[in-house]
Amino acid sequence: MQWLDGLIQGVLLGGLYAQYALGMALMFGVMRIVNLTHGDLMILLALIGISLSSALGIGPWMVLVLLVPLAAAIGWLLQRAVLNKVVSEDPLPSLIATFGLSVALQNAMLQVWSADTRSLPGGGIEQASWQIGSIYIGVLPVIVLVAAICLTGGLSQLMSHTRFGRALRASAADVEAAAMTGVNPKTVYALATAIAVGVLGFAAVFQGLRSTVAPADGAAQLIYAFEAVIIGGMGSVWGAFLGAMVLGISQSIGFRIDPGFGILAGHLVFLLVLAVRPQGIFGRN
Amino acid sequence: MSQTQPLSEPAVTVRTQTASGIVAMVIGAGLIATLLSLPFWAEQGTIRSVVELCCYIAIAQMWNLLAGYAGLVSVGQQAFSGVAAYVTFILAQNFGINPYIAIVLSLAAPAILAVPVYGLLHRLDGPYFAIGTWVVAEVVRLITTNVGYVNAGAGMSLRVMTQFSAQERAIGICILCALMLIATVGGSYWLLRSRYGLALTAMRDNPVSAASQGVNVGRLRFLIFVAAAVGTGLAGSIYFSSQLRITPPAAYGAEWASIAIFIVMIGGIGSIEGVLIGAMIFYFADQWFGEYGATYLVVLGVLTLFVALYLRGGLWGVLTRVVDAPWFPTRRRLIE
Repeated sequence: MQWLDGLIQGVLLGGLYAQYALGMALMFGVMRIVNLTHGDLMILLALIGISLSSALGIGPWMVLVLLVPLAAAIGWLLQRAVLNKVVSEDPLPSLIATFGLSVALQNAMLQVWSADTRSLPGGGIEQASWQIGSIYIGVLPVIVLVAAICLTGGLSQLMSHTRFGRALRASAADVEAAAMTGVNPKTVYALATAIAVGVLGFAAVFQGLRSTVAPADGAAQLIYAFEAVIIGGMGSVWGAFLGAMVLGISQSIGFRIDPGFGILAGHLVFLLVLAVRPQGIFGRN
Repeated sequence: MSQTQPLSEPAVTVRTQTASGIVAMVIGAGLIATLLSLPFWAEQGTIRSVVELCCYIAIAQMWNLLAGYAGLVSVGQQAFSGVAAYVTFILAQNFGINPYIAIVLSLAAPAILAVPVYGLLHRLDGPYFAIGTWVVAEVVRLITTNVGYVNAGAGMSLRVMTQFSAQERAIGICILCALMLIATVGGSYWLLRSRYGLALTAMRDNPVSAASQGVNVGRLRFLIFVAAAVGTGLAGSIYFSSQLRITPPAAYGAEWASIAIFIVMIGGIGSIEGVLIGAMIFYFADQWFGEYGATYLVVLGVLTLFVALYLRGGLWGVLTRVVDAPWFPTRRRLIE
C-alpha cells in the first residue's frame, strides 16, 4: 500500500515539476538557450506573491491573477534586455550572462527577503484532503496537477494551431528562413520567453502554497526542470510533462526507501535515462 | 623542363617567443621563488590567503581550458575538487598515509570519476552539458552526505596534520602550490605551444572546421575533460588540506563554479593572461569587499552579465587591443 501511495504522491509532485519544466522546454525548443535564472525567477515570483498577499491581504487566487501578468512582463523584459543580445549558435554567452544574472538575483533576494523560508497562506486549502481507503490525497496537489495538465495542453495547442505557434516552430527550425517569410524572430522570442516565465507565475503560487520558498532554492528547481525536459525528450511540451511525472515518481518512491535517498533517486533516474536512452523516453529517433 | 618539388618540408624558422614573453617568464619564476620562500618570513594569515589565490588560479585555468578551448562549459567542476579533497582526507585520516603523499594519490579519484561522467554527458550539447555537470556535482554531494564512513553531513577534520609544526605545514603546502601552478598554468602553456595547441586553438575558433582539418575533436575534448578534472582535483585537495576541515556543502558548493566563471570571464576567456588578471581582481575584490556579503555578490553577478553582453574578451581582450605584448606567447611567426 505504501508503494501505491508513493506512486500517487509522485504523480502529484510531478504536477508541480511539470510547471517548472514547461517554460524550459518552450525556451529550449525555440531559442536553444538555457536560462539559468529559471529557478531564481520562480523563487522571485513566489516571494513577490507572498509579500503581495500579506501587504494587500488577498487570497492565493487573487495573487495568481496579479502574478502571472507580472511574470510574463518580466519574461518579456528579460528577453528584450538580455537574452536577445546573446542568442547564437555558441551556447557560452547565454550561459554566462544568465549565470551572472542568477548570482545577482539570488543575492539581491537574500537582501530584500532575508534567508528565511516562507510560504503563501492558502486559507485552509493546503490542509484539505480526500481519504480513499488508507491513502490520503491532498486537494491542493490535485489542483496543481490539473493546472499542469491544462497548461501543458494549452501550450501544446498554442504551438500546433496558432499563427504564433507556427512562427515559433519556424524560428526554431531556421531563424533566417523564418525571418525571410515575414516572421520577426526577436518578437517571437520575446513572446516565447514571456509565456515561459508566465507559466512560472503559476508554479510560483503553487510552490508557495504546497511547500516553502527561500532565496537560495532556485538552483534545485532549475535542476528539476532540466531533468524533466531531458528525461521526457526534448522538443515537445508533453514530453516535458511526462518527464516531470517520471521525476516526481522517482523522488517519491526513493523517499519511501530512505528519506536521504529521495532527491538522489531522481538524479540517478536522470543519469540512467542519459546512459540508456539519451534522446529521452519519449524522444524521437 | 620539369620542375621538381622538394619532398622534404621546406626549411623555415618559426618563432613563438617574444620579448614580453621572456620578461613574463622571468617574473613568473621570481613569483614561484617568492611563493616557496613565504614560510620563512610571512605570517600564517598571509600564507593562507596566498594558498587560496593559487587554488583560484588553478581552478580558473582548468575551467578556461574546458570552456575557452574545448567548448565544454561546466558548472560542476566542484564534483572533482570535492572528491579529490575527500579522498585526501580519507587516505590521511583513515589510512594513516602521509597527508602530502595522500594529496598526490588523491588525484586518481577525479581522473577515474571523469571518465564515466564524460561518457554520459558528452551526449548533451552546449548548455545542457553545463547543467548535466551540475547534476553530477549534486549527485556526488548527496552521496557524500549519506555515507557514514566519511562522517556524512558533519564532515571530516584532518587531525593527522598536528604531527607537523605550523612552519612544516606551510612549507609543504607552499611546495604543493608551486607544483600546482607549474602543472596547471605552465602545463596549459606547454600544451598550447605543442602540436596539440594548434589543434586546440583551431577547435576553440571553430570545432567543425577543425574536425575537417583532421583534428580528432571528440578525443581531444575527452582528454581535456580528464586533465581539467585532475587539475581541479589538485586545487581542491590543497585547499581543504590547508583548511584542515571539509564538509559536503563546502566541498561541493556552487560557489566554486561562480569563482571560476567570474575570474575567467572578467579576465578574458581563451587566454592564460586573462586568468591571472581575473584571479588578481577577484582576490583583491574578495579581500576588500568580501565583508559586504550579498551586495558584493550582486555586483560580481552583474559584472559577469555585463562582460557576457558587451565585453566578450574580458580585460585581457581590451589590453591586447591597446598593446600587443603577450605574457604567454603562442602565436607562431614565420621568420624566413
